[in-house]
Amino acid sequence: MHLLNTEAPNFELINTKDQPVRLSDFRGKKWVLLVFNRGFA
Amino acid sequence: MAQLCLDYPQFVQCNTEVLILGPDDPNAYKRHWQQENHPAVGLADVKSKIANLYYQEVNLFKLGRMPAQFIIDPNGIIRYEYYGNSMSDIPANITMLEMIDQLQKTDQPA
Repeated sequence: MHLLNTEAPNFELINTKDQPVRLSDFRGKKWVLLVFNRGFA
Repeated sequence: MAQLCLDYPQFVQCNTEVLILGPDDPNAYKRHWQQENHPAVGLADVKSKIANLYYQEVNLFKLGRMPAQFIIDPNGIIRYEYYGNSMSDIPANITMLEMIDQLQKTDQPA
């Protein structure tokens, strides 16, 4: 399954400063590099 | 990861925010972020719910989740996707920066 050229699924998560971040917050403002890693903590 | 943080200002110059999602526990993720003083936005993706939405591959023979990266334009459209084939198969930052630059030029009105 690929997502290229489709609308990115929106999400809301809490950042490391305990603030909510939505992907849609960047709509109309910025490009986003979305990185999924395997974890490190 | 460390290199991504070192190169973070170059992404900012390209009007790009870097969101880094990991499957770690939120408190552990927060501790790591504070210890390393990461400039990018760190988001704990508990139970990998968002990773699943983006079809991040889980390969048990390769010990877990494969790296994945996406470039999303200001209209919310995924313009580039990269699914790694191994833990170390991660595109270089310069490759991502060049891709963003190329996409932004494509979008400029003639």
